[in-house]
Amino acid sequence: MTEETITPVRAAVAAAEPTSDVGELSQWQLIWLRFRRNKLAMGGMVILAIMYLVVIFAGFLSPNAHDTQNLDYIYGPPDPITFVGPDGKLGLRPYTFATTTVLNQATFKWDFEIDRNTRIPIQFFVRGDTYKILWWQNDLHLMGIAPPDRLYVWGADSLGRDMFARTLVGGQVSMTVGLVGIALTIFLGSVLGTMSGFYGGAIDDAMQRVIEVIQSFPTIPLWAALAAALPNVSENFTMLHRYFLITVILSLVNWTGLARQLRAKVMSYRQADFTSAALVAGASNARIIFVHMLPNAASHIIVVAALAIPGMILGETSLSFLGLGIQPPMVSWGALLRDSQQVSTVVQHPWLILPGIGVVITVLGFSVLGDGLRDAVDPYSI
Amino acid sequence: MLNYIIRRAGYALVTLLFVAIVGFLIIELPPGSYLDFRLRELRTLGGDYSVDMIKALEQRYGVNDPVHVKFWKWFSNFVQGDFGWSFQYERDVGELLSARIGYTLMFTLTSLVVSWVISITVGVYSATHRYTLPDYAITLFQFIGLSVPGFLLALVLMIFAQRTLGMEVGGLFSSRFRDAAWSWAKFVDLLGHLWIPIIVIGASGTAWLSRVMRGNLLDVLNMQYVQTARSKGLPERKVIWKHAVRNALHPLVMVFGMSFPAIISGETVISIVLNLPTAGPLFINALLQQDMYLAVTFLMFLAVLLVVGNLVADIVLAWLDPRIQFE
Amino acid sequence: MVQQQPVHAAPTSEAELVLRIRDLHTYFYTVVGVAKALNGVNLDIPYGKVLGIVGESGCGKSVTALSAMRLVLPPGRIVKGEILLNRIRREGDTYTVLDEVNITDLDPRGHEIRSIRGREIAMIFQEPMTSLNPSYTVGNQIVEAILLHQDVSKEEARDRAINILRRVELPNAEAVVDRYPHELSGGMRQRAMIAMALSCTPSLLIADEPTTALDVTTEAEILDLMRELQAQMGMTIVFITHNLGVVAQMCDQVAVMYLGRVVESAPVDDIFYDPQHPYTQALLRSIPRIGSRTKKRLEPIRGVVPDPYADIRGCPFHDRCSACMPGICDVRVPAMSVLPGKVGHEVRCFLHSDAYEGDDGHVA
Ligand SMILES: Nc1ncnc2c1ncn2[C@@H]1O[C@H](COP(=O)(O)OP(=O)(O)O)[C@@H](O)[C@H]1O
Ligand SMILES: [Mg+2]
Repeated sequence: MTEETITPVRAAVAAAEPTSDVGELSQWQLIWLRFRRNKLAMGGMVILAIMYLVVIFAGFLSPNAHDTQNLDYIYGPPDPITFVGPDGKLGLRPYTFATTTVLNQATFKWDFEIDRNTRIPIQFFVRGDTYKILWWQNDLHLMGIAPPDRLYVWGADSLGRDMFARTLVGGQVSMTVGLVGIALTIFLGSVLGTMSGFYGGAIDDAMQRVIEVIQSFPTIPLWAALAAALPNVSENFTMLHRYFLITVILSLVNWTGLARQLRAKVMSYRQADFTSAALVAGASNARIIFVHMLPNAASHIIVVAALAIPGMILGETSLSFLGLGIQPPMVSWGALLRDSQQVSTVVQHPWLILPGIGVVITVLGFSVLGDGLRDAVDPYSI
Repeated sequence: MLNYIIRRAGYALVTLLFVAIVGFLIIELPPGSYLDFRLRELRTLGGDYSVDMIKALEQRYGVNDPVHVKFWKWFSNFVQGDFGWSFQYERDVGELLSARIGYTLMFTLTSLVVSWVISITVGVYSATHRYTLPDYAITLFQFIGLSVPGFLLALVLMIFAQRTLGMEVGGLFSSRFRDAAWSWAKFVDLLGHLWIPIIVIGASGTAWLSRVMRGNLLDVLNMQYVQTARSKGLPERKVIWKHAVRNALHPLVMVFGMSFPAIISGETVISIVLNLPTAGPLFINALLQQDMYLAVTFLMFLAVLLVVGNLVADIVLAWLDPRIQFE
Repeated sequence: MVQQQPVHAAPTSEAELVLRIRDLHTYFYTVVGVAKALNGVNLDIPYGKVLGIVGESGCGKSVTALSAMRLVLPPGRIVKGEILLNRIRREGDTYTVLDEVNITDLDPRGHEIRSIRGREIAMIFQEPMTSLNPSYTVGNQIVEAILLHQDVSKEEARDRAINILRRVELPNAEAVVDRYPHELSGGMRQRAMIAMALSCTPSLLIADEPTTALDVTTEAEILDLMRELQAQMGMTIVFITHNLGVVAQMCDQVAVMYLGRVVESAPVDDIFYDPQHPYTQALLRSIPRIGSRTKKRLEPIRGVVPDPYADIRGCPFHDRCSACMPGICDVRVPAMSVLPGKVGHEVRCFLHSDAYEGDDGHVA
């Protein structure tokens, strides 16, 4: 009798066992496989990698240092680049044209005029302004033109500083704010969310109210109000302090989303088999949380985090644009764009909004990356 | 149902009380308010007038009171419509804001309506035309819309309009109408100035909402009841709009409460660039000048909108979705 | 309970067939490859009878049903074959064929197939929990179907909806008509679904595992109901299930499917008492039989169903078959052939006939 009932069960178990090698892939390998199929997301990842390399080697890649002022080239336009040599033939060596200043008789301002007849060869691996990559000081630049002339591929700002160099250096701040911020967000969100979901009761109630109140404010105005409370840069409040506190402010609002989602996850795990098994085996709460629950939620955390980065980068940009975030002499994309707040100025010198390209590409990159990650982790939700 | 609404409203009130505490904390945050600065200034100035002023100000804001009394003073005044004094403009905050909040609401509500209408249409289209060229194009636009900060979009459009079209796009009116009396021509001029702000303000919200709508609808289209509807012989149009869209709207209503403040959030920054007479630029300026009563009043106004928006969304959802239990 | 008399008479002329499926191929062109869900299905659905389709899950039962309704959605597509529907008018015991439509020729969104859906062929799905739209009342959804196919006023349609709800033995039909699906139990929802399907008196009802998601008691009730309705209305039913017990209770004729093909087709008694295909035999051995005296072991079928993406050479069942003949079964696909001396009993196996299918899918 017993034999009759057991056999099909055992067979069913055997049948359920993986027969193809798909079943032997780990969860992470599966995610990676699915992610790799998503061309858009892969493209986003590659572009981001390139962008990070570019901003790390900002000093080397730009012809000038970002803070070298050139009062002869205030609001100077971008130097045009041509591959047509003086002999009129297309070649490999790029040239730029000489620029002269002429007094505009109507406005009594100096206008820049490009002299299409005088070509200046662009040289590679030239010595110029000194810069630092992390702690490594150097003066070798990828390209430049013979001094005393300077090459401004993206034009110059109100103090004659190289916009290209400033954009690359600004990226160092803008592209890390999101990462540092997201690290804080993950920390706050997972600790508070897990606690809230795991302990429930009064802790959970309190946490939910706090989250509700924080989420009752629209983000940018709240960030702005908090950032307005930061002191201005001074002796004992350095740029770095400000930078760090801005990221804290950004994540102070952002952790709530992650905490909510993790709470729900942890609550469902509380009923899961592995939790009861661990409890029976006498595991401590901390062990259950750190060994069982968080690793299970890890893919989820990563997705939420990746999707939150664009918001942080946009947040920093907006704050700095308003003058409430990163302040000079530190540069970030938002701080650079602040120069274009005067519409009359930008209309005359449109290259001032070029740092915006950095914002758009980075945010776009993180958006498609986050989207791809979500699809890879959870292919059934859209 | 009524019970449900009352309970929800109760929650909203409690949340608002906490929101007020946060608002008060922001006023009190270092580096101090314009009030302290003003008091210090008056003290060094000396004289009878100053002493009277100091007394009046101390009285009004309870400068020397313990924190909870101070909070209560501010809060009860706030609830009664006395929002404090703008030291920067030397005017009542209420007066200042009310002159501009109308414009804020006009721009944001119009953008909201426009963005919802576009989002639903575009979302339905791209979900029902998945993997076609237009769907890919829409997806591309959605990602770009999400990646371009509103103020940057505003800048680009203004540069384009001014340099290429020779149009003057900032503000609400062209310079020749700015001080003119209302006329048909002025109204037409106003309309000509409205569309750029409305597009810019609505852009990122539209990108996001239409993406949410697409995802929801794709989920719903996989549901069995959609096949049931088809198996009855209903035309595809009716299957989509009656059976699928209706169910895909629920999550959209849930985010309604969020989308309105998000739009105002963006508007705050965009208005500065587009030089609009809304409350946003006033707010940012107040923050830069530490004119805290003005700033916090606006912030509170937004929070109230958000909480009320969520309340409305809850109620609409309960009315839309028969499955919601009013327990 | 009404005792079902087994009907052995096989259909003799095509006029007695409501639906003929010929060499139906339906493929799904997914990102991971082409899933060949149906590889030449042939089915005859006789008028006024209950045809059972059985087979393990994934063998293409639902796809067959959806193909007949033209409800296979992209990336799925009917790539080959015919589905011929006889529009039949019945008067008393005599019925006349009005015309014959080839469903595979129709535009899947066109007017003609839509006039067939619901009116000529209606379908009930497996999941009663999700097959009704949660946003509309049961009545709304039934009335919608009635108004679509019948020329009646809204009030009249509502009365008909209440009537048909009574017909499916829903207690308190006047109230149920205004209920939302979530207010009903699974069994009640399935009754409402049946009511909706019957609301336009279709000549063919396809029930795709209508009781699989229900508990045993509810299942028995629903089966009783369907049998009664069938007897009363003389309706033609295609009953899809993977439960042989249900087949025994419900069906007159049975088609056993394996990997997108019908491998054996016979009157219900032949399937149970004289199964010919090794797959049918294995299926029968894998279910417990109440009242069987021999204490035989239950045997699960060896191995697993190959996935429909695989390209299998030879008989699709050969690697799981205990009677597999190497060099024969793994080379060619056997063709369907009539068993000598039997009526309406066909089998697709080299043990019975040497006939095989050519490369183009036609019998060689
Ligand atoms: N939407 C789809 N996309 C891809 N493959 C599908 C789809 N629907 C069905 N199939 C394939 O068709 C085969 C038959 O499915 P189905 O008819 O649902 O099986 P069942 O006999 O259990 O009803 C499945 O194995 C599956 O691989
Ligand atoms: Mg099925």
